[in-house]
Amino acid sequence: MEDSFSGDEDYYYSDRDSLDGLENDEADLQWVPPKGSSTKVITRESLLAAQKEDLRRVMELLSLREHHARTLLIHYRWDVEKLLAVLVENGKESLFNEAGVTVIDDADPMLPLSSTVMCDICMEEVAGDKATKMDCGHCFCNDCWTEHFIVKINEGQSKRIRCMAHKCNAICDEAVVRNLVSKKHPNLAEKFERFLLESFIEDNKMVKWCPSTPHCGNAIRVEEVEVCEVECACGAQFCFSCLSEAHSPCSCSMWDLWAKKCRDESETVNWITVHTKPCPKCHKPVEKNGGCNLVSCICGQAFCWLCGGATGRDHTWSRIAGHSCGRYKEDKAKKTERAKRELYRYMHYHNRYKAHTDSFKLESKLKETVLEKVSISEERESRLRDFSWVTNGLYRLFRSRRVLSYSYPFAFYMFGEELFKDEMTDEEREIKQHLFEDQQQQLEANVEKLSKFLEEPFDQYPDDKVMEIRMQVINLSVITDTLCKKMYECIENDLLGCLQLGTHNIARYQSKGIERASELSTCWTSVNTTTDKRQRSDADTSGVAYLIKDVLTPCNAVGGTLEHDRPSGSRSSDDSGCSSQKRVRKEDCLSGRFDLNLPAEVIDRN
Amino acid sequence: MIDFSRVQKELQECSKDIEASGIKVTPVSDNLVHLTGIIPGPVGTPYEGGTFRLDITLPDGYPFEPPKMHFVTKVWHPNISSQSGAICLDILKDQWSPALTLKTALLSVQALLSAPAPDDPQDAVVAQQYLKDHQTFLSTARYWTESFAKTSSLGVEEKVQKLVEMGFPESQVRSTLEIVGGDENMALEKLLSS
Repeated sequence: MEDSFSGDEDYYYSDRDSLDGLENDEADLQWVPPKGSSTKVITRESLLAAQKEDLRRVMELLSLREHHARTLLIHYRWDVEKLLAVLVENGKESLFNEAGVTVIDDADPMLPLSSTVMCDICMEEVAGDKATKMDCGHCFCNDCWTEHFIVKINEGQSKRIRCMAHKCNAICDEAVVRNLVSKKHPNLAEKFERFLLESFIEDNKMVKWCPSTPHCGNAIRVEEVEVCEVECACGAQFCFSCLSEAHSPCSCSMWDLWAKKCRDESETVNWITVHTKPCPKCHKPVEKNGGCNLVSCICGQAFCWLCGGATGRDHTWSRIAGHSCGRYKEDKAKKTERAKRELYRYMHYHNRYKAHTDSFKLESKLKETVLEKVSISEERESRLRDFSWVTNGLYRLFRSRRVLSYSYPFAFYMFGEELFKDEMTDEEREIKQHLFEDQQQQLEANVEKLSKFLEEPFDQYPDDKVMEIRMQVINLSVITDTLCKKMYECIENDLLGCLQLGTHNIARYQSKGIERASELSTCWTSVNTTTDKRQRSDADTSGVAYLIKDVLTPCNAVGGTLEHDRPSGSRSSDDSGCSSQKRVRKEDCLSGRFDLNLPAEVIDRN
Repeated sequence: MIDFSRVQKELQECSKDIEASGIKVTPVSDNLVHLTGIIPGPVGTPYEGGTFRLDITLPDGYPFEPPKMHFVTKVWHPNISSQSGAICLDILKDQWSPALTLKTALLSVQALLSAPAPDDPQDAVVAQQYLKDHQTFLSTARYWTESFAKTSSLGVEEKVQKLVEMGFPESQVRSTLEIVGGDENMALEKLLSS
């Protein structure tokens, strides 16, 4: 299966700079090397292959056996480049020592020398064939080894099981572990396999599990570690750095703060402190709904709204019976004022964020009606045949809506005091805020216009009116795309670029939407390859991304058998089976859902 | 499941050179799960002359999992809790190897007494003193050795008598003394706290 692992020529790169696929122009098919990262989906089938590829590189470069290569790679977190850098800098010996790799070229390590061996662990004499000598030269009886492996696997240390000898740093040969443990504990041996396999994902900073729930079983691999947003084959879009939903132009820390803020009740509490006073008797918060300052709680207690103190029920022009307020307390008033301001500020941003998110949801419904209109229009006898502008416009609308809604939490933190209080003077902040808000406003206005045109019942209009709408939609699509791009540039260069403290990296704006991870080509037989390539190229026009799919669920939720964790060398039969299963799923996602990240012509074709 | 035959062998091995090492391991109960270790305070340290008692419990996975040990005798040492007797020593945690034995583990503990590692402390107060005011540390450690780690010259009956005179019931005094291994100070403390 190493043979079927294809190289880079299979990956298609998007033309990031073309505005979009308004017309079926050739820009989409142009091959332009990516400036940013490209990502791959690693599926259950491709996990082994992906891992094998890295193993093979190290094995060839250092002429090592597989388990040694794996030990090295686990130690260096699957970073082949780093491993090679250490090799060049410190030499082979130091590289091996550090990772716990001992290579002995002579004597077959499986055969102890004498006929009986004294095992230092159980302190018994055992027959030579019941003992095993590790690569490091230490020999113990098989029972003790097995026991040791079981304890270590249960401790979750499968990836680095050290030799039993004191101060021996060597990592045990995985084949020995597999062999001995499976005799006594087949289940545990499977667990061991899985740990080794998953190490490729869990100890690898280039690979992360897709955060979808329920978990789709896929993992994503990026080419370079940088802030980016990806889409898994399951459809989940997420930020590769923080694994939460795709949130650009918000930075990860901004998004984290925002999500927390929206979740927790601190703002509600703020509201309550500003707008209510606790009843002096039952202590429930009471809201004043107008009228004079003699307030009565539902419990019957009357109190003064000004100071919160309990009073009688009589009220005159000059005083509330049985009560007179104290002096004006400046401090308290200031605090209330501040809390109120903060709250209004948050409400302002939250309302707009929410409005755009809601519009986005509503417009997702719009796509069905629009697509219906398209099909009606296509049936009509008319000189207009090409309706890709509708789907393209729709797609552009969704894309811009997203940007707009996340631009509000960004602004909240960018121009607020929480993160950048000491980074800007008030004047600077004001200038920047104006700059940003101007852009935001322009974008907003154009997005709304675009939305309005797309909602027009163009299927009932005469041709010339449709042509007019078409022009508008095409124009607005270009404009909103340019505005989005400008906004990202403004954020990167003018707003965040000049700040000193803290790094706020923001995923690049991608005209075509969030990069969809392309599947890491693996175990398909040649029959499948052609169809698959076509599909992959389709998906890839929106960006290059690789996906590790269906690998195994991260923890232990792997249903049924673990066919795919079998030791190397014994798989082949089920390959065709798994690929057909995958195709079903893929077609599913192309036809069943409207895919925001595919250029319209792909959707049209389906 | 504990490998009892190995534990048995370890005990035999240990008793063979008790003269040389001074390290003693004896089972508390018959089942060999609960043991007591004795180590002499290393010469040339503030612990010299003391006899330190450790409580040892073997986990199910022994010898593939490390034995659980803590000091019963109070010790003033940066890596040993002055409160609980807990020991901070790598071989009793992640650096344990099945090739180590109770005796070698106790030898390592003894070595720890001679060579404290104040940068990785178990007891922050002691470690602070060790680094900032070494003289006070030495005298405190010596004082603690004097007070807690030296078996008094009194015979058992005299100790019992002494404690009974303090107002504790005789049966309780006897059983407590037995638990703490004849150390009257320890026994007193235990009686007071019970």
